[in-house]
Order: sequence, then C-alpha cells, then structure tokens
Amino acid sequence: MLLRLLVTMLAGTALGLAVTYYLLGNGVSFDEVQSGPWTRWPKSGSMNIDPYAHAMLARTAELPLAAAEGLSFFARTDSAGESLKARCDYVMSGQIPSSRYWTVSLYGPTGSIIDNPAQRFGFTSAEILRAADGSFKLTVSRHARPGNWLPVGNVSTFVLVLRLYDTLFDVGMTKAEAAVLPKIVKGHCE
Amino acid sequence: MSLTDRLLALFLYGLGVLFVAGLVHLIAVLAMPEIAPNDAFARLSAIAKTGQPVLLPQPLPGHELTPFEDPALAQVVCLFDLSHGSMHVRGEVDHETLLTLSFHSRDGRVFYAMTDRAAVHGKIDVRVVTQPQLQALQAEDDEDNPPQELRLVAPQMQGFVLINALAAYPSQRAAAEARATSMNCAPEAVAQN
Repeated sequence: MLLRLLVTMLAGTALGLAVTYYLLGNGVSFDEVQSGPWTRWPKSGSMNIDPYAHAMLARTAELPLAAAEGLSFFARTDSAGESLKARCDYVMSGQIPSSRYWTVSLYGPTGSIIDNPAQRFGFTSAEILRAADGSFKLTVSRHARPGNWLPVGNVSTFVLVLRLYDTLFDVGMTKAEAAVLPKIVKGHCE
Repeated sequence: MSLTDRLLALFLYGLGVLFVAGLVHLIAVLAMPEIAPNDAFARLSAIAKTGQPVLLPQPLPGHELTPFEDPALAQVVCLFDLSHGSMHVRGEVDHETLLTLSFHSRDGRVFYAMTDRAAVHGKIDVRVVTQPQLQALQAEDDEDNPPQELRLVAPQMQGFVLINALAAYPSQRAAAEARATSMNCAPEAVAQN
C-alpha cells in the first residue's frame, strides 16, 4: 500500500515536471496574440504578466519591452505559416504601424545574435531605404542583395523581431492587426 | 480480487498520478520566477553593483547578456535594493532621440515604464521607494511646494531600472551610450522613524 502510494507520488512528480519542462520550452501562454506571421505577448511587459510567460522569461532571462516603451512582435514563420529557413530568401514588405521609431532584427531560434560578414544584425526605421511613396522592402538572405539586405548567418532557422518604439498603435485592435503589419514572403530556396 | 476491482484500483492510482502531476506543474510554474538560477536579475547582478549605473556591453554575436536584445539599443542598468533606502533616477533628455526607462522587480515583472516624452521640462526625476519610505517622504513634504519627483512603490525590495537609448544609425552608438549613461541613479536615504 505504502509502496504504491510512493510510486504514485513519484510518477506524478515526474510527469508534472516533464509537462512543465515541455510547456515552458515550447512557449505556451494564455496571453498570446497572433496576427499573420507575428506573435506578441501584450502583458509580458507589465505586472499582470501571464504565469507561464513569467516562468518562461525567468528561464530564458529575456527582458520584455514594457507596454509604455513599445510593442514587440516575433515571427518564426512566413506569411504562409511555414517556418523561416536560412536557406531561403524572404522579402518583408508592407506597412508598419505609426511609431516614433521601429527596428527589425534577426536572431537564432533561442534569441542569439547571428554573426555575419556584413556585421548587420538589424535595421532601424531611420536607416532603412524607402521608395518614393514611403514603402520599404527588406530582403533576408544568406547572399548579398541590393537595397535593404538583412544577412542570415550560419543557422538553419531564424526569428525576426519587429519592435515599435513609442507607438500609439492600439493594443486592443487585434483583428485588424495582420493587415497593418508587414508581410514576410518566401522567395528562392537553395 | 476480481478484474473489475483491479481495474478500478488502477484507475484510482492513475487519477492520483494526474492529480500529483497537476499540483507539481502548478507549483513549478509559479515558483520558477523565484528559483530560476540564471534569470535576468542574476545576469545583470553579475556585471553591475547595486546603486551604480552600468553600461551593458553592446549586443554582438557571442556577447549577448540576455536573449533577443535589440542590437540598436544602448542600455544602462541600475540595480536597486530598497532596504538601504530609496533609489533616485534623474537626468535630462533632449526629446530628439528615443530614451526609455523600465522598472523591473527582482522576479522579472515590469512595474513601470516611460519614454523621454513623459519628461517634465526636459527632466526625468523618479524615486523608487517602498510603502513605508513613501509615507516617510510624504510626511516631510512641503504642502505649498509639492515635490516634482515621481514616486514609484516597488513590488519587491530588489529590482533594476533599465535605461534604453536608441542608436538610429550604427554611427550614433557612442552618442546613444552617452545619453543612456547621462541618466544618474543613486541610492538615497529616507528618514524613517
């Protein structure tokens, strides 16, 4: 009887820890807003942070952007929903919601900055080259491309992060969000 | 013992396992911010001293302090420990380029944030306090001459203030670092009786 109770406790503890490890490693959160390829966690930079997001940030040590500072959007897939692969070219284009500054940066799957010969790790809204109508096109590729080129270093998959600093973009408008965020379209693959 | 009895016992033990698993899961998730050994506070504590502003190293490949750092930012951190008094963050802003401040508790929650747009007459003047320190300060306030500083009650005794300055162009990094380091933060004693 006692042995069975002990086995039950041990099995339960092991299962509980395994489930926790899996969920925290795979980014499960009750506070996730998906718009097109972009995901954000609106409450991560506040006191009402979701317990799962809170535990996850404690494990990864990531410093979230506070809502008053700006919004951050993470893309692990293109607009078609396929994961971003370093052997493919991608074009990011479209609109960016009005903000004082924005930046787009490229990371490895766990958030490391990827070394590349051009030593370019991202663009700011000030330095990006635009067309006459204010629109922009950013090419993500392993090989040098004309215009705004964001190189991918020696990784197999990557993450794009768009940060809108000091933005008036309404945090509540989640449905219309995808239409006002840039699209990420896959091009040629090696 | 009949087969039904055995199945029932197995089912009950299964339920027990699930119940324990659920409990362990909840505890693990809720305790993680307190027990995670290598969280942001621990990493910042390794390079910064309490009460002194420290410029964080530029985010470069292989030299990241935390994941997903914006490579366009120059960052300064001020660790605070309110058991030695309040923490005063002061500085002047030029309103031209972006400067943001975020206030984090030790367990990783953001309890306040602002940009240079919120500065009054070009000045940022914030005091991070505990509830008793706030009361002690309020007791000493001059009613005809109200204080200009913003007082924030921190949810925990320890935490950090992160000051971000944007380098809009790579060539502006030195200027952004200068703007971030121009913010001053220092512990300040509060008369408590």
